[in-house]
Amino acid sequence: MRQDKIIIGAGLYGLYAALLCARRGEAVTVLEYDEAPFKRATYINQARVHMGYHYPRSYSTAIKSAGYFRRFNEDYGFCVHAKFDQVYATSAAFSWTNAEQFKEFCAAARIRCDAVAPSKYFQSGMCDGAFLTEEYTYDAQILKQYFIEQLASLPRVRIVYGARVERLWRTERNWHVLTQDGEYRAPFVLNATYASANQVLKKVEGEQFEPFGIKYELCEIILCNAAAPLRDVGLTVMDGPFFSIMPFGKTGFHSLTSVTFTPHVTSYDALPAFDCQKNSRGFCSPAALGNCNDCPARPESAWPYMSSLARKYMRPEYGFSYCESLFSMKPILKASEIDDSRPTVIRAHTKGPTLISVLSGKINTVYDLDSILLGEE
Amino acid sequence: MEKESNFVSAVVYLHNAQQTAGEFLRGVSAALSEHFKKYEIICVDDASTDESAGAVRAFAAECPGAPVTILHMSFYQGRELAMNAGVDLAIGDFVFEFDVPDLDFDPEAVWAVYARALEGFDIVGAHAVGRGRTSSGLFYKVFNRFSGSPYKLDTESFRVLSRRAINRVRSMTKTIPFRKAVYANCGLRLGRVAYAPVRPQRAAHGDGAFRRSLALDSLLLFTDVGFKFACGMTALMMFAAVFMAVYAAVVFLTGKPIEGWTTTMLFLSFSFFGLFAVLTVLLKYVTLLIDLTFKKSKYTFESIEKLSR
Repeated sequence: MRQDKIIIGAGLYGLYAALLCARRGEAVTVLEYDEAPFKRATYINQARVHMGYHYPRSYSTAIKSAGYFRRFNEDYGFCVHAKFDQVYATSAAFSWTNAEQFKEFCAAARIRCDAVAPSKYFQSGMCDGAFLTEEYTYDAQILKQYFIEQLASLPRVRIVYGARVERLWRTERNWHVLTQDGEYRAPFVLNATYASANQVLKKVEGEQFEPFGIKYELCEIILCNAAAPLRDVGLTVMDGPFFSIMPFGKTGFHSLTSVTFTPHVTSYDALPAFDCQKNSRGFCSPAALGNCNDCPARPESAWPYMSSLARKYMRPEYGFSYCESLFSMKPILKASEIDDSRPTVIRAHTKGPTLISVLSGKINTVYDLDSILLGEE
Repeated sequence: MEKESNFVSAVVYLHNAQQTAGEFLRGVSAALSEHFKKYEIICVDDASTDESAGAVRAFAAECPGAPVTILHMSFYQGRELAMNAGVDLAIGDFVFEFDVPDLDFDPEAVWAVYARALEGFDIVGAHAVGRGRTSSGLFYKVFNRFSGSPYKLDTESFRVLSRRAINRVRSMTKTIPFRKAVYANCGLRLGRVAYAPVRPQRAAHGDGAFRRSLALDSLLLFTDVGFKFACGMTALMMFAAVFMAVYAAVVFLTGKPIEGWTTTMLFLSFSFFGLFAVLTVLLKYVTLLIDLTFKKSKYTFESIEKLSR
């Protein structure tokens, strides 16, 4: 079947691209590995709508985030949870950034940063500064519902679930994508598979594209029930081996993550190779990642470690208890380790027919896609 | 036996401890995994020039049960500062401090120390029976004599701290030059557990000059030995000045001193008397300043016991 565009991956980036193109009347096919959209990184992350606070050592990332923040809230405000106190604090020990530097950084990036007493939230002496900030969290399930409804109303778009991309090749005018139940072709293919980006590129026949320089981390997000004082509070301790606990969209849960304990295992290979894949009974391999959250070999929760770390910092009245763990694979650009930035990388591998890969660690930089999708004609 | 659900951290000091580190970590880790559901190990590598970090990595590779962290110090800073950093990083409800990575104790002693802490002691030290070098023995003798603390310090191989002890110590003072002294003065209950060493200690105690200077600093900061010595000297010198004045007066009345000698002597006696008095006052000021810096909180308490019917 000939399409205008084939999009691989039904995460936010994939569906955003599909909707943008379908609204212009294009015929779009989305190929998704799982049985539903938004089953991996779009859902399983801290759900931050980034304003840039997270990157006190990367002004470029911070300023770009702040710009997209407004637009995301205008477009998708219905899924955004904004009515809570989002507190950023700098740890007194082992932080790469102290309270003074964090304040200067916010001033330079022109984002809100109101000092509050660290003792309101944290044990004495643990944090040297605490700041009320403007940052929200989004609810992936509500966002998913929106995209499904919008796409359903457009006749020329369709999402194929359970699709196994087997190989890709190009002819003079088209890219061809072969899956287990048929071949698709289009002059434009978007690889929006995030952690599987290199795996898709590897399936291209007759050509070698340079893989993204990434490492892979198998990450755990813990959903918690928050005690009353914590319910409308999000806490993030920066800038080093610390943690955050904050509302998880509008679900009523809090997500708990930590820099040291959220990543369970790391793979530095171009294609993600992990020991746990051997125990997954064919569910997952370096050639095709299964959904870690549904994997029979998913790791044991790091709850004892993450909760101890958080309790060491937080005042005891801000209680929380374990509810469930979510696991997903996260690719991290190797170049961003020192300044901790999260740039969006867009690579056009071929033009006419076009193959483009996109890799971004943030939800609100989805607008980076506009230029490549609209600039096509 | 039901495993303990409290989360514990073990902070281990490593400085050129390549020989003993592996065995030590295996022993401690085995003892911890036998008794605790979850624990972490933090190795503080105080700028070792040998393969200490390599020994830790080898241990971590063969024992994936607990997270192992290596905290690399930028340059050699000595046991006290390095261990402070390690304890700051630890997240356990209880934190073990292993000052010397040498398994000269039965690993069960680790549990014995923790069990003692649960009886209501916030800080529990383990010391080897019949050990004590003469030089450190002398230091502790002088220290205990002049510290004014109810707790007597002694050579300890390792200890355990409760989270509230750590919080207390951190809120009392920002710099902790000598942990044992601060712990003894933090006002919480201290416990002791004695163990019979299974073999002589192998790991060296480290840099002698560094430890001597630390010992001198500690004596000056945490005891009043310096102040008492100075006061004694001042009293002695004041007495000598008074004696000289009396002597000059006696010579003036009984003999024939050279003209001007008596006035000179009287003037000198009076001046020295005054000088020593001023020095005493200055010393008192310095002592007060040290107290203000190192004992910031107004009072220290052990616990609040509420009696109700």
